[in-house]
Order: sequence, then structure tokens, then C-alpha cells
Amino acid sequence: MMSFITYLVNGISLGSIYALIALGYTMVYGIAKMLNFAHGDIIMVGGFTIFTAMSTAWCPVWLSVIIGIIVCTVLGVLVEKVAYKPLRNAPPLAVLITAIGVSYLLQNVALLIFGSAAQSFTSIVKNVAPVTIGGVTVSMETVISIIVSVVIMICLTFFINKTKAGKAMLAVAEDKGAAELMGINVNSTISLTFAIGSALAAVASALLCSSYPQISPYTGSMPGIKAFVAAVFGGIGSIPGAMIGGILLGIIENLSKAYISSQLSDAIVFLVLIVVLIVKPTGIMGKKINEKV
Amino acid sequence: MSENTSKTPMLEVRQLSISFGGLKAVDGLNMTIGKGQLYGLIGPNGAGKTTVFNMLTGVYKPTSGSIILDGENITGKPPAQINCCGVARTFQNIRLFSNMSVLDNVKVGLHNRMKYSVIEGALRLPRYFKAEREMNSRAEELLKVFGLEGEKEQLASNLPYGKQRKLEIARALATDPKLLLLDEPAAGMNPNETASLMDTIRFVRDNFDMTILLIEHDMKLVSGICEEITVLNFGQELAQGVTSEVLQNPAVVTAYLGE
Amino acid sequence: MRKTTKNNLITCGLVLVFFIVCGILSSAGIMGSKLSGLLIPIGIYTIMSISLNLTVGVLGELSLGHAGFMCVGAYVGGVFSILAQDTITVPWIRIIIAIVLGAIAAAVFGLIIGIPALRLRGDYLAIVTLGFGEIIKSLANNIYIVKDVNGIHFSFAAPATGTDAATAQDIFKGAQGIKAPQDTTLLLVVIVLMISLIIIMNIVDSNTGRACMAIRDNYIAAESMGINVTKFRLIAFVISAAIAGAAGVLYSHSLAVLAPKKFDYNFSILILVFVVLGGLGSMRGSVIATIILYALPELFRGLGDYRMLIYAIVLIFMMIFNNAPYFVALRQRIAALPIFEKFRTKKPKTAGGESK
Repeated sequence: MMSFITYLVNGISLGSIYALIALGYTMVYGIAKMLNFAHGDIIMVGGFTIFTAMSTAWCPVWLSVIIGIIVCTVLGVLVEKVAYKPLRNAPPLAVLITAIGVSYLLQNVALLIFGSAAQSFTSIVKNVAPVTIGGVTVSMETVISIIVSVVIMICLTFFINKTKAGKAMLAVAEDKGAAELMGINVNSTISLTFAIGSALAAVASALLCSSYPQISPYTGSMPGIKAFVAAVFGGIGSIPGAMIGGILLGIIENLSKAYISSQLSDAIVFLVLIVVLIVKPTGIMGKKINEKV
Repeated sequence: MSENTSKTPMLEVRQLSISFGGLKAVDGLNMTIGKGQLYGLIGPNGAGKTTVFNMLTGVYKPTSGSIILDGENITGKPPAQINCCGVARTFQNIRLFSNMSVLDNVKVGLHNRMKYSVIEGALRLPRYFKAEREMNSRAEELLKVFGLEGEKEQLASNLPYGKQRKLEIARALATDPKLLLLDEPAAGMNPNETASLMDTIRFVRDNFDMTILLIEHDMKLVSGICEEITVLNFGQELAQGVTSEVLQNPAVVTAYLGE
Repeated sequence: MRKTTKNNLITCGLVLVFFIVCGILSSAGIMGSKLSGLLIPIGIYTIMSISLNLTVGVLGELSLGHAGFMCVGAYVGGVFSILAQDTITVPWIRIIIAIVLGAIAAAVFGLIIGIPALRLRGDYLAIVTLGFGEIIKSLANNIYIVKDVNGIHFSFAAPATGTDAATAQDIFKGAQGIKAPQDTTLLLVVIVLMISLIIIMNIVDSNTGRACMAIRDNYIAAESMGINVTKFRLIAFVISAAIAGAAGVLYSHSLAVLAPKKFDYNFSILILVFVVLGGLGSMRGSVIATIILYALPELFRGLGDYRMLIYAIVLIFMMIFNNAPYFVALRQRIAALPIFEKFRTKKPKTAGGESK
């Protein structure tokens, strides 16, 4: 029973990291109606930035993370301006392929700078003893991941629903043209969305690389794809959906690793996604949209 | 109310209703259309006319009521099956296959008329050539009726608006229907185009032996070609009968012009 | 002759001429062995991209799991060939049977996946196909087959051990994959490519293809024309899967070792890039794009680590240049200049394109 709770807590921790990444996917999808395949690689860039700041520049942890967040935010906005903005009214597949191109680009730049071998990442909470609560022992990374993610999700929910900029984001996601007519600056709202999504990815990278202390140019791909799955799972475009989807995905992955097979855990994750989509085609929290005839 | 009892019905709609959530979009509609009739369905915006079309063609399943086409109950069947039973339609907002040629658009309509299997198509067996020859000549015949034979190789999306509406009718006729539903065929047309459209609709009725039900806001078109009409208002039948009589009905005038 | 027939013949001619010329050059020793070695993979990748174009370009549904079907074909055909190595000693007969088996197996998977997945549309279908592709890869990673004097031993998720260690021979070794006999020849690849190309082009130019394109352009109108949308989406999906399966068989028989991790979503995406850059719905475009995009990075190996970086930049630039409204308008303005008048015989007809 105790081991079950440990797996569960670790699953929630992993899941909340997925949720942070999934939020980036879902916000961008909601507002730009595009699958941002390069989002996973933003995580990788964040990881390398923090890694470099800590190991080469000897920055303290808090500063390294802040540098990571700044670099990712700037990168996310830059990518949107250069690669996606010219294609705003282009066919969706063209935008998808461009995102794939950006993903290749980021991976190969990292490959040139850091090489293909995985490097060991120093945890942002190194030398902190595991925590034991009621007989369940969990690492500090796990605890930090959960706390940080929950705080961020609360802040984000507040931001989206209560502030003017957040409401502008909802309006642009609903109808770009109408939002523009209401005096909302669509371009800066989209930039803001990419900025927030990328900043969340940077935070996720710090947590992810601390829990699995390694980093390589391909670090971002698999968590990226899984977070993408989580976003779809929860109903892509829905912010609470991404949170629920991410956490559920982490739990499913960790429990199937523990009780079924560690090699098949990815297959199980995808299988659950497929079953959910077949039962509820727009995800857990997704809205059903009927085409008007 | 005039009741023409001598007509043999092509379409009988009985107590047709549909509700979306709590809203009754169409409520207890009764309508009988005789074979070869030109029938109009009119009403103010939001009266539920297109919803009736969507139920007749299977896009929506009616909540209650029945639709009998030429003696066959087609209520609640899926759209493709209803088309095979003999109902074809055009759309209010034109829905052509825009990246296909004009000829291919009509050939899609002939899909179920001249059949051959996937394998016969993939391996180019003799049936393929026979069916394709028949399809081409039939499609060209239809295009000629609508004066589109010169544009058959063009992409449908490159046609001007009026011709796109005509192509939609040609495509619908290709499925060899018993009943043709036209959803606002004159929308966006100038008076000259509307006049020529009226001739085309009459021509189709006479030469294709067709029963036609149309939705239209252009009263000149409705009074010019429809023999009988039904007026819908808030999903309910307001009046029904011979066009000229119904259009003078005070209730109809009020519904259109307000108190 | 009809315009479509003529266009299709030109496409077939192009493929034949390319492979015949390259084949002659390579057997005459003019083309280096490194370049000659590219011909077989180019052929196989071309089969993959034309089959994916049937789903993405003609049917208009985004599939991100095409590598999964190739994986099924590769391993079903490969395992058959290894097992049949002693009984069927003529390589070409063996691989033809393997291709048929691989294509059938992939078609069955296409059907099993298509029935539930094709209830979805657009991005949701894309993510489900991606998921299925990853599941197939994960399953293949866990298959172990061993053959010994007592028969064939199959095990899942744990290494198989034969009952007789002396004669035990690994056939499928989990994440390490299989070692199929090297039966694939350039001639065979070209034959399979030509057959696939002709079948796909014939289907596109038949009532099945028209039904698929009608569904792509407007599925509500297609339904109202009496087209069974589910049936035709499934037909296109299964045919596309079967051809990918055949390509998989050729692939596993052209490599010394083939591990399942080769068939991840990046592989599917690579093929998708070929299809999109070649032009949706245009088989000739897929062929040309595959040849160029596959060969280029290989030819520029000299650039070392920079070549994939350049590839990525070229990819982004090409997508923006081809699709951004600004550049599209610019190109139209330039094409409208009087000096280009004589090149404009008739209005260009675009073969495919997304319309949502």
C-alpha cells in the first residue's frame, strides 16, 4: 500500500510537469489553432540554458532558472514572429511542417553546441534529503515539482480569468476577427501566449531535468509528445483540461511502469489516450463543435 | 387553406419536430408535395426552413414525426442513404468540391448510378472504361443544360458565383433524385440572373420529371414559379396552400413585415 | 488522350527514366558506390511518400503514424523470410511472398486502427495515428522469437529461450530487431514502386478517388451525394497502409539489422515533410520531393553536422515562401507581369490543397 502511494505521488509529480508543458501546447492551440511541434524543443533549450548557467557560469540555482525562463520566453516569441506569423492564414499543414522545421532547427543547433551525448544535469535541489510524510518517502524534486506546478496553475487560472490580458487571450481564442474589432491587439496577445507557454516550458525543464538528471538535444521530444498527448487527452484548447490531462497521464505512466511493464508504459499511455478519444472525441474537457449546415 | 386531394404525393411530412436542448426549432410540421410539383418553403430568418431541409436529408434526426418519400419511410436515415432513396439538395452556403474540376463535381454525383468496384478502378478492368464513358457523357449532358460545358476542366472554386449555384444544381441532379431540394437558389443573384434561374428551374422540372421543394426569400421567384407554398414562422406552420392566396394571408404579411 | 492520363504517364516515365539512368550509371561504375547505395532507400521512401499522399493529400486526413504500418510490414515479411530461408531457397520467390504477407498484415492493422480512429477528424485523428504508430513500435520492441530443433518459441516482454540451447537461433530479438536475408534488389524496388504508383494513380482517377477528394473538400456535401464517407475513408486508409507495409518488407530486406526504434514518429514526420513539400495530392510532386530531399542531405555529408541545420532552415524557408499570404501575392504579381505573358497558356490547375 505504501509503495502504491509512493508511485502515485511520483506520478502526480511527473504529471504536473507534463501539465506545465501541456498548458503551453493547449494555449497556443487555442489561440493560433496550430500544433506547435517545436514546443518540446523549447524545453530542451531551457534545460541547456539552466545547465550552462549552473555548470559553466556558476550561477546560483535561482538565477539560472530565471535566465532559463528569460531565454525560453524570448525564443518562443521570436519563433512565433519569424516562423509562424507569416503563415497565419496559410493551410494548417503548412504551419505544422514549419513547426517541425523549427523543431529540427533547435535540435540541430543544440547538437552543434553540446554534442549528441547526454550530459548529467545537477538537480536544482541537490543534497536535500528526501521527505517522509506518514511513512511515505518521496524525493525533494518530487515535492518541489508538485508545489511549483500547483502554484503556477493557480496563478495562470487567476491571470486568464481575472486580468484584462487574460480575457483578451480568451477572446482571441474564441474569434480572432471579432476580438480585433473589439479593439484587442491580436498580434501582441498571440505573442503573450507564446511567451507564457515558453516560460512554463522553461520551468518544466528545470523540474524535469532535476527529476531525471540528464540532458541531451533530444531531451524535449518525448516529454513534448507526451504533454501534447496530455493536452489532447484533456481536450485541446482547454486550460483546466491540460492540467487534468497532464496529471492523469503522469499517474497512468508511473503506475503502469510500476505494475505492468516499464517497457510498455509508453504504449499504455497512448492506448489510454486512444480509448478516451474514441469514447469522447474531443477529450475530457473539450467542447463539441457541430458544423452548421 | 386549400387542400389538393387529387395529387399523388411524392413527399409526405407528418408532425415533423426537432428540438435542440429546450428550443423547438421545428414543431409539428405537416406538408404534402405532389409528384411533379414546384413547392416553396418560405418564412422569416430563423423560422427553421433550413432545419427542415436538414431533417429531410438526414443531416439532423427528427425528434418526432415522419418523412415519407414516394411511399417509403426515410425518417432518421443517414444522409448518404437518403440520397440513394432519391433526395438531392443544394446548400444555402455553397458547398462545392472546390479543389475538383467542374466535370468531376458532377461525376461525384453520378457515383452511385454507374458503379464499379475499387479493384476494377485500380486495375483498369473493362467495367471501369464502360462506366467512365457513360459517366462522362451523362455529366456533359447535365453541364450543357446549365451552360457550363465550356468550363468543365476548371476548378469549381474558379467559377463565378452564379455558375457555382448552377453547378450545385447540376451535381444534385446527377444523383438522379425523385425530389430536389433547393436552399435559397437565388441568394446573391441580380434580377437578371434570378429570371434566368427561374427558367432553369422550370426546365429541370419539365425535362427531368422532377419534384422540387425550394426555400427562397425572393418573393418574385416564389410567386413566379411555386404552385404551392408553406410559410414557417418560429418553427411552426403559419399558412399553407396555393401561392397567390397564401401571400395575401394577413398573418403571413404580418410575420414578414411586423405589426 | 485525357489530360490526367497523360500526366500520369509522364509521372511513370519520370520514375522509370530516373531509375534506369541511375541504374546504368551505377552498374557502369560512373556513379560512386555511395550514391548507388542511395537508390534502394530512395525507391522505398518514394513508395512511402506516395502511399501517405493518398491519405493526406487525396483523403485530406493528417496521419502521423505511417511508419507504424511500414513497421508491421517490415517485421511480418522479415520474420517470414528468416523462417522460410531453408525451405524456399530462391530469394525472389521468397521476397515476393514476404511482400504479399507484409502488405496484407499492414492492411489488417490499417483496418483495425482505421475503424475506431477514422471516427475522428483533423488534429484528433493526427494524434491518434501518432499514438498507434508509437504503440506498434513499443510492441515490436517487446517481441522475442527464437527457433530451435523443437520448433518456434514466442515470448512477449521477456527474452525467449529455446528449449534446446545448441540449435537456438534468434529470429526477433526485442529492441535489437531482426536480421532478414538481403533479398531486396534495385529492380524489385523499382517494380514495387511502379506497381504502387500505377495503382494509386488509377485509384485517384476513379470513382474511389473522386469520392475521397469529395470527402476532403466537403464531407457534408459528399454525404448528400450518397457517398458512404466512413467506407471510403477506410478504403483509402487501408490501401495506404498496405502499400506502406510492402515498402516495409523491402526495407527490412535491404538492411543487415533493423531495430524497431527506427519506426518512431520522426520517421512518419519525415515522410510527411516529403509529401507536403511535393504538393498535397500530387504523386509526381511526392516522387520528386522524396528523391531530392532524401538525396540532398546525403550528398552534402561533407558539410558534417551543419547539413541537418541547413535542411531545417531550408524547410522553414520553403514553407513560408510557398504558403505565406505575402509571398503568394508577390509571386502572383510577378507572374502577372507582361514579360511572362507567353508562358501563360492556360490557368494553372492545382492538383490538391487543404480546404477546411
